[in-house]
Amino acid sequence: MTKDLDTNAEVTWCPGCGNFGILNAFKKAINKLESKGIKQDNIIISSGIGCHGKIFDYVGLSGLYSIHGRSMATVQGIKIGNPKLKVIAFAGDGDAYGEGIAHMIFAAKRNADITVIVHNNGAYALTTGQFSPTSKKGFKGPSRPEGNIEDPINPLSLLLEAGASFVARGYSAKMDHLSDLIVEAVMHEGFSVIDVLQPSVVFNNTYKLYNEITEIVQKPAKSFDEAVKLVKDMKERMPIGVFYNVKKPVFHKELMGDWNPVQNKMSRNKRLKKIEEFV
Amino acid sequence: MKKDVFTYIIGGKAGQGTKKAGLVAANFFADLKREVFQMNDYPSLIRGGHNFSVVSTSTSKIYSHYMKADLIVVLDQRSYDIHKNHLADKGILVFNSDKVKGEGIGIAISSEAKKYDNSDLIEGVAGIAVLAVILGIEKKKLDEIIKKEYGRQVKDNIEFSNAIYDDASKKIKKRFDLKQGKKKLVSLSGSEAIGLGAAAAGLDIYFAYPMTPSTPVLHFFAGNGKKLGIVTVQPENEIAVANMAIGASFTGARSMVGTSGGGFCLMQEAFSLAGMVEAPVLFFLGQRPGPSTGVPTYTEQGELLYSLYPGQGEFPRIVASPGNIEEAFYLTAELLNLVWRFQTPAILLSEKHLTESSMSVSVNPNKTKWALPITHEKGEYKRYKHTTNGISPLVFPPSKHLIKWNSYEHDEQGLTTEDGVLIAKMHDKRRTKLQSLIEYLKKMKTVNIYGDGKPVIFTFGSTTMSVLEALEYGGIKATVIQPIYLQPFPVWELSEHKYRESIVVEQNSTGQLEQLLKDKSDIKPVHSIRQYDGRPFDPQELAHKIKEVF
Repeated sequence: MTKDLDTNAEVTWCPGCGNFGILNAFKKAINKLESKGIKQDNIIISSGIGCHGKIFDYVGLSGLYSIHGRSMATVQGIKIGNPKLKVIAFAGDGDAYGEGIAHMIFAAKRNADITVIVHNNGAYALTTGQFSPTSKKGFKGPSRPEGNIEDPINPLSLLLEAGASFVARGYSAKMDHLSDLIVEAVMHEGFSVIDVLQPSVVFNNTYKLYNEITEIVQKPAKSFDEAVKLVKDMKERMPIGVFYNVKKPVFHKELMGDWNPVQNKMSRNKRLKKIEEFV
Repeated sequence: MKKDVFTYIIGGKAGQGTKKAGLVAANFFADLKREVFQMNDYPSLIRGGHNFSVVSTSTSKIYSHYMKADLIVVLDQRSYDIHKNHLADKGILVFNSDKVKGEGIGIAISSEAKKYDNSDLIEGVAGIAVLAVILGIEKKKLDEIIKKEYGRQVKDNIEFSNAIYDDASKKIKKRFDLKQGKKKLVSLSGSEAIGLGAAAAGLDIYFAYPMTPSTPVLHFFAGNGKKLGIVTVQPENEIAVANMAIGASFTGARSMVGTSGGGFCLMQEAFSLAGMVEAPVLFFLGQRPGPSTGVPTYTEQGELLYSLYPGQGEFPRIVASPGNIEEAFYLTAELLNLVWRFQTPAILLSEKHLTESSMSVSVNPNKTKWALPITHEKGEYKRYKHTTNGISPLVFPPSKHLIKWNSYEHDEQGLTTEDGVLIAKMHDKRRTKLQSLIEYLKKMKTVNIYGDGKPVIFTFGSTTMSVLEALEYGGIKATVIQPIYLQPFPVWELSEHKYRESIVVEQNSTGQLEQLLKDKSDIKPVHSIRQYDGRPFDPQELAHKIKEVF
């Protein structure tokens, strides 16, 4: 099968789901990236498990449909295997901020050159609406019918502290804006994360709220402290845009310089000669 | 005892250089063209405690250390108390008279060492000086050895060793004459053999989180990776280790991970993922005594049954365990080949006794094969294309083809499916692949058979070395049968021994190999010898036990 940005998979998201906005923004971003010289063949995707993960089947790009919380680890492995590839991990809030939060923190810490797009709907939707790491206190779901007793985490603040070099928030209903964020994140050399506000029409319908309070930030913060302030500024308004964007050494280059394990592989003869020195 | 086995034990606190002294002795024996086996025993701490290194050497093949030693050098009281019982007939025990009250030859090692910087750390060198005296090595030769082996504080080490040599010469004379052997062989640790074997098969990336006793393999790649063209990655935990390795294999990079029991538990979901997406990844599992944290720096074979079915669901799994250090080299290379041929995860199962012991080996890198996948040639590409052997050809990115690896049940293209017909077909594909794997293994050597004596001894992994040495020591005639492959279990080779009287020797308490033999091949051993105190078998003791049951 050769590639087409669409696949013949049946789309099974609920009508009106925020995931449609992310899917469309992503496809648009891929076309824009193509015009910036990034070929579709060089873009590899991965996803975790949950409603968000279905995007893997709906986008005609190569990749690995990973397991819950691990897509960030998967794409880091892909990047180390062949650094020429651009890698994008999709994750839900349960994936990125629950099951796989260690991978997020460490990918940010080592500035792995990956992009993580988090479909943050504040609920475990595919398992019928339990509270998630970003659910508000009081959020009612089948595993805590009387309401969530925990405060949500602020993932972007956490990731800034961990060393993330590109931090952004988008909103699935602001598709063009989101698609520009994706382009910028993929072009960024280093760890980039976009926390995407994604309404779940069945379990956490936040359209009305986000339509009212999201506010586009035009420029990234000038300093780290300012960025931290920006990502915590969620009471009165909900800023969206690129909050932080700095250049830092990237992991695969620190690890192996310009070496590409699959493209610069040592010949068998040369390898065996080296081994002779040990035996 | 084999006529010319000479055994040397040096014991002291961690940080005193006992392991190094053992290595220096081993290298010296190797220079005499003798074969060596070195076992290092150490607790899970960095300074203090009790460490010892035991080196046995012979002019012929030697598969194990012996616990009865001809020369014992002990640097502290604890070592004396433990090792005084390890003295062979006519053996000699030299102790550090500054720290030890006991019987034997006392030498004031600590007060001499105090004259130098890092006095604690250089005491191990005294063990080499004493060895030189009782083997009748001249002082000049001793200086050469010290110069070659000890990079730091060379002058101090030479002066110190000379002082000990002079003092010891007054108290003891040359006692042993070590004959030259036939051929100088290189000595490799099990970990080095595993690392080199993987390298020989074309490994590109090694992922690991430190965990004894698999850590030396991580250190081997970290230290030699630049030279060999192999990248080493130490991620945040074993979950990341295994998932990154699967990601790397997606690009075509030959990937391997290393861990021990607890870390391997964390890799279970990824192991199953590898089975489902059909990712070629080699997992190295180094066993320590369990359960749980267990005894980190000691040895056991308690994870045999656990290793046979890791991960949820049905998919082909490969498990094999090397019976000695040479075999560790070839088997690692072979397993990397198998995972790439069959696109399924494999486990290289070993134990601390193999990974952290060293022995003389003769390996030929040219006898290994470069791990190569079956790749897609032309026409429409489907990642999970149904084929007669269950193996779907691979394509690596970047590619014009759509390459979808999927953890969900999938159709041939790799898109998620819940269709009953497709689910069953994909199960059939993986089962067909397992059948192809079994047919392939049938053409390979999956069982080692040593000797031709009437009674049969089944064993596996590093215990094979202990058994072979015990038989030689005890002059016991038996046939040793060691399944190299444990999953799929080579019943086709084993079942012909069904009616022979047999025993099982293994290092666990419940008899896991015995159970496997009974369940899979209808072999009913009449007796078993099990050791599960974290220590490898001593060939002398094992020989007695085998004689008892025969």
